[in-house]
Amino acid sequence: MASVELQNISKVFGGLRVIDNLNLTVPDGSFTALLGPSGCGKSALLRMIAGLEQISEGRALIGGVDITNEEPARRKVAMVFQSYALYPHLTVEENVCFSLSLAGMPKAAQKERAAGVAKMLQLESLMARRPAQLSGGQRQRVAIGRALARNPEVFLFDEPLSNLDAMLRVQMRLELTKLHKDLKTTMIYVTHDQVEAMTLADQIVVLEKGKIQQVGSPWQLYNQPANRFVASFIGSLGMNFLPARATPSGQGATVALGDSTRIDLPLRMTAAQPVELGIRPEHLHLVAAGTGDIAGKALLVEYLGNTSYAYIESAFGQVIVEADGSESLETGPPWG
Amino acid sequence: MTAISNPSARRINHAAGALTALNVLVAIFWAFPIYWVLVTTLKPEQDIVRPGIDLWPDRLTFDAYTYVLFNTQIGQWYLNSLVTAGSVTFAVVLMSAAAGYAISLLEFPGRKLLWWLILASFMVPIPALIVNHFVLMSQIKLLNTWAGVILPQLLAPVTVMIYKQFFDSVPKEFREAAVMDGATQMQLLFRLYLPMNWGITTALAIITFIGAWNQFLWPFLAVTTQDKMNVTVGITQVTDAFGVKYARDLASAVLAGLPVALVYLIFQRRVTQAIMLTVGIQG
Ligand SMILES: Nc1ncnc2c1ncn2[C@@H]1O[C@H](COP(=O)(O)OP(=O)(O)OP(=O)(O)O)[C@@H](O)[C@H]1O
Ligand SMILES: [Mg+2]
Repeated sequence: MASVELQNISKVFGGLRVIDNLNLTVPDGSFTALLGPSGCGKSALLRMIAGLEQISEGRALIGGVDITNEEPARRKVAMVFQSYALYPHLTVEENVCFSLSLAGMPKAAQKERAAGVAKMLQLESLMARRPAQLSGGQRQRVAIGRALARNPEVFLFDEPLSNLDAMLRVQMRLELTKLHKDLKTTMIYVTHDQVEAMTLADQIVVLEKGKIQQVGSPWQLYNQPANRFVASFIGSLGMNFLPARATPSGQGATVALGDSTRIDLPLRMTAAQPVELGIRPEHLHLVAAGTGDIAGKALLVEYLGNTSYAYIESAFGQVIVEADGSESLETGPPWG
Repeated sequence: MTAISNPSARRINHAAGALTALNVLVAIFWAFPIYWVLVTTLKPEQDIVRPGIDLWPDRLTFDAYTYVLFNTQIGQWYLNSLVTAGSVTFAVVLMSAAAGYAISLLEFPGRKLLWWLILASFMVPIPALIVNHFVLMSQIKLLNTWAGVILPQLLAPVTVMIYKQFFDSVPKEFREAAVMDGATQMQLLFRLYLPMNWGITTALAIITFIGAWNQFLWPFLAVTTQDKMNVTVGITQVTDAFGVKYARDLASAVLAGLPVALVYLIFQRRVTQAIMLTVGIQG
């Protein structure tokens, strides 16, 4: 087990700075998710930790040891690839044992290690099969097993669940959580799916354009987003941003939305200024016309079973409101 | 099938029938010389030179075969062919796999240049080099040796190209996974890339072997003593002071071709695959 520390890391491809002067500490035993939109540099960052990509600038430490220029195999990290990359000519057992066999471990010891891994991941009945004879979920488990067999100090996952269907993804998510509970090994997990990040991780790193936007627990990211990007990226439909005006008052500030609505917030400011007020759809309610704070007309209602989303055209622009799924909503009538 | 006859379907059936008949005809035309060779080897010499066409021997005899087998050095020639063709195959496959791997996957200065050289050498027909090969082999005193027969046959740019193309096509995640598992370059080649698709290697080995076994011009030039001859060259020695003996000549030709025919029959599918691979490069 080991912590991972990245100090002023950059990655340059050609002239393009894909990762820009990034600092990050992944504590020992943490399950950290790297979250961000496509192309933001998540994979590049992970591959630098793995050693598959040269670190252009900066230092990387694993367990306090500088591994910036170390061979991938000697970093004590194991990686699970999005495509699994199981060796097609080897059986499941041989796949799991491949690294051990390369390292010259005796056959009997290899078998023993493989048996332990198989037990942990319920692979026993599959050991003699080849990857082509496995389902997607089984391949995924073998890929994890292959990483496990090496007894790494850090696990790296690059979007490991993205090739699975929705049901299987939920199930594998639970298995990964359980695995982390059992092993308590540091895990770094790349995903562009915020649900995966929120459910699996104890620490989430939100990346955009090669820069860290925020590092925090799922709770912090949802409730205390550091900036507009994080606020709109986290949450099922993002956030509504409404133009407002803030004035200092007492300890905090008062935000005025339109003429009548006043909200007191614990903000520190010196002078009055225009601001944007971010409100999540799930924190707004629909009320009868004329009784609410924001008046508007519903343009569109998305019905999702347990809940619905109403897209409301208001004086402040389009506002999304989450409504109880039991109400039958119609587009057209004005809402308060 | 519906009961209503469809005129256009019937026309297609007629056309298909005619095509099949044509195929059979061409096949007979193609196979007849082979049949004629086999029949001739089973006739006594006097019956062969008799006027008229005998499609089946009046008197069946294996004299021609026993003569070739017991009165020539064909055993030695077989051995020479086996050793030289086997060595050529082994060396060509090994070197091509290594070269293809290096050009496809390793970063080193001069890689592009090396690749262009290999492509360029593919443009030069081997017979154009044969005088140089002869002079070179005689200078290093390798005429009339196995090594002399083998060495010039190790030029195999096409095999390198096929390997390179294959290695190029393997997704890079396999390599990265193996690198993380601690594989060295040698282990990557011999434990990942080659085993991943033995089909390519067996196909290339078979086609190289058949090519080397059937080589005539170079083994003919490089060897002058009977006991170092390949079977293809040796059979030209089965002549007789008293004129042409058709049965013996053809029997030796049949014996020379037999191993290749057997290899082909056993590995038919692989050979076809190999031909497709090489055509892919040359086409
Ligand atoms: N080998 C490379 N050469 C040049 N540019 C590259 C290379 N690999 C990645 N990039 C660029 O680096 C940027 C970040 O890529 P990266 O693969 O890290 O994105 P990502 O966050 O993993 O995206 P995704 O969610 O789509 O996988 C992209 O703009 C990509 O085009
Ligand atoms: Mg990626």
